[in-house]
Amino acid sequence: MRISEQAKQENRARILEKGAELFIAKGYEECTTRDIATAAGLAAGTLFNYFPSKETLAMTMVSEAFKMGREDFMRRRTGEEDLPEDLFLFIASGLRRLRPLRPFIGPVLERSLSPFPRKTVCPEGEAARQEHLDAVQEIIASHGFTQAPDYVAVTMYWSLYLGILAFWANDDSPNQEATQALVDYSIRMFVQVISGTGGVTGEANAD
Amino acid sequence: MQIDDGKTTDALQMKILLAALPKESATDPTGQQLAQLINRIANKKVPVNSFSRIWTLGSLQAKVTLGYFAYWLRSRFADADERQRLRSEAHLAAALQLFGTMGYMRGAVMKIGQLLANLPEVVPEEFAEVLSALHFEAPPMHFALVREVFLDEFGREPEEVFAFFDRQAFAAASLGQVHRARLKSGEEVAVKIQYPGIARTIKADLRNLRLLLQPLCLTEDWQNTLDKLADIERMLLMETDYDQEASFGKQARVLFTDADRVVVPRVYDEYSTKRVLTTEYLRGCHLDDFLAGNPSQEERDHFTTLLTVATFRLYYRLHWFLADPHPGNFIFMEDGRLGMIDFGCTRAMTDEEWLLICKLERANLERDEACLNRVIAKACLFDDPEEMEPERLEILRSGLNWNMEPWLKDGLFDFGEREFFMRGIESFMEMTRKRYTRGSPLYLWSNRFIFGGRAVCYRLKGRCEFRKIHQQESAACLHPAPEQ
Ligand SMILES: Nc1ncnc2c1ncn2[C@@H]1O[C@H](COP(=O)(O)OP(=O)(O)O)[C@@H](O)[C@H]1O
Repeated sequence: MRISEQAKQENRARILEKGAELFIAKGYEECTTRDIATAAGLAAGTLFNYFPSKETLAMTMVSEAFKMGREDFMRRRTGEEDLPEDLFLFIASGLRRLRPLRPFIGPVLERSLSPFPRKTVCPEGEAARQEHLDAVQEIIASHGFTQAPDYVAVTMYWSLYLGILAFWANDDSPNQEATQALVDYSIRMFVQVISGTGGVTGEANAD
Repeated sequence: MQIDDGKTTDALQMKILLAALPKESATDPTGQQLAQLINRIANKKVPVNSFSRIWTLGSLQAKVTLGYFAYWLRSRFADADERQRLRSEAHLAAALQLFGTMGYMRGAVMKIGQLLANLPEVVPEEFAEVLSALHFEAPPMHFALVREVFLDEFGREPEEVFAFFDRQAFAAASLGQVHRARLKSGEEVAVKIQYPGIARTIKADLRNLRLLLQPLCLTEDWQNTLDKLADIERMLLMETDYDQEASFGKQARVLFTDADRVVVPRVYDEYSTKRVLTTEYLRGCHLDDFLAGNPSQEERDHFTTLLTVATFRLYYRLHWFLADPHPGNFIFMEDGRLGMIDFGCTRAMTDEEWLLICKLERANLERDEACLNRVIAKACLFDDPEEMEPERLEILRSGLNWNMEPWLKDGLFDFGEREFFMRGIESFMEMTRKRYTRGSPLYLWSNRFIFGGRAVCYRLKGRCEFRKIHQQESAACLHPAPEQ
């Protein structure tokens, strides 16, 4: 019997929800797809119709968080931001949506977003990376840059961003406030480099 | 002292550095060793942390500052045996290096360095200026960062929390910045927001600095120096906790009535946390702008009177030193009231400290020489005045006399008199030069309180009936001086 599109969406949402709960409760490594299927009230085999692997499941959570983060960013953006502020708002909005997954997400991000050559590339990870970078390019373009940043600048950005994610995943300061400072500092640096000036420091902000 | 590093060569820099650094006549008469130590550290290019603005150890001014700091610390272990001295040197170098990374101290460090470098010819104005610069400096935050702090602290955006929130900060604070806003109930407020993570960084840095300094030990005064550093650390850390500041502010606020013409802004708890402090906005200006408006003598005297009343009230009723009485903490309000903000740096005395201070005050007012000497000895951690070098006692007495001068004079006291202010600074510097600084850590703050307050009044060129105010305020004192 074919199930309706709506039922499919509900199953998918339930798997994601139960998956996140279990990953947090048991740890990502310890948790099996069978556990998740059971918790979602599905047969183990059925789960694979939705997510071919545990990694895909986890990365889908990440992608969805990123997507919500991008929507938050678009909604929160006032149009008055300068480039560093715009980028900050973008990254911070994403991290905030990712926050519920923080207890287990470190190893997932490490595996799926790794910039090193791998045998099996995680397609969800690859897609998340591309969407993130597209958004960044758009933000940069909206601040008067006539050309898209070249591969050096993009690689540099991505390295900084992965560094931020790694730091954030381990950040034990309240509300990951240390990460906020890191994001602020990293972005100022990045913008300085791509602007070719030493002047973008926001010094004038509070004067 | 303005030196442009870009244009000076290394050799020239070394020459200037050598000229600017202090010399230890016995071990390092030319200052070469010290200059080399400083250069070695400065050239290591320690990364400053993310909270710094433009502080680099490589700048000549930073080097001179470090040099004086090193000189001061070194003088503390000059008498040690060779092995201990070498060990101390290593710790010293590490401590200086760490100090150099603490970019949020830049302003303070530069100013102190300036003062030290010009020590013999310091003019009172500079001294006053340096006192007002002992601040942290956080980098400015753009609005997006402010919003993140709000989401974390209140779960809502600033514009949801308040009816109106100005995205642009109107003032810098030492650990963050201050924004204007309006509550939904209509009140105008000032919202002070802390830069994320800066408090933790400061805590970690200060702890590490202390650990590095600890083993430097040796002279008999070293323990006292460590005690003072610990007290400084405690006070600096207090500034990082806005809850604490809010609590001090509330205690102070209830001491003043409308008739006093002194206001401590109301704290809005609902909009305050450890990192965000929301207080009633006080409309007015700071000292510089007040002076720029060419106020009449009457206005100057008026505010000098209010300042005196306010500080005495806190002193007698709560046993507090406003340890940071710099001009930014006073608001000259349009309606003639004096606003007092920022209780982040308030030193509350212990009962024991308070009793000793009362004794000192009374001995002074009653001109009881023997008792005065005994209390001074105790405050300087001697058992008996006999144990003190006569010169030490003499210098401390003259400092105290200067402190008490206004207390003994009937009628108007003129704090704008240059000669008076100058004498105070000279006596303080004499004490520092001769290293008669051993004493309870409390006196670090009482000195800052007195000099800071008097520096403000000096710049105000204001007068007040000091003795009368003192009598009024001390009469209302909750804990009268104990019987001897
Ligand atoms: N309630 C207030 N009303 C008006 N101005 C204020 C108020 N609170 C702070 N400010 C402004 O912000 C500046 C910094 O605030 P302050 O509390 O002194 O910060 P810090 O933490 O550096 O001590 C003040 O000098 C003043 O100009």
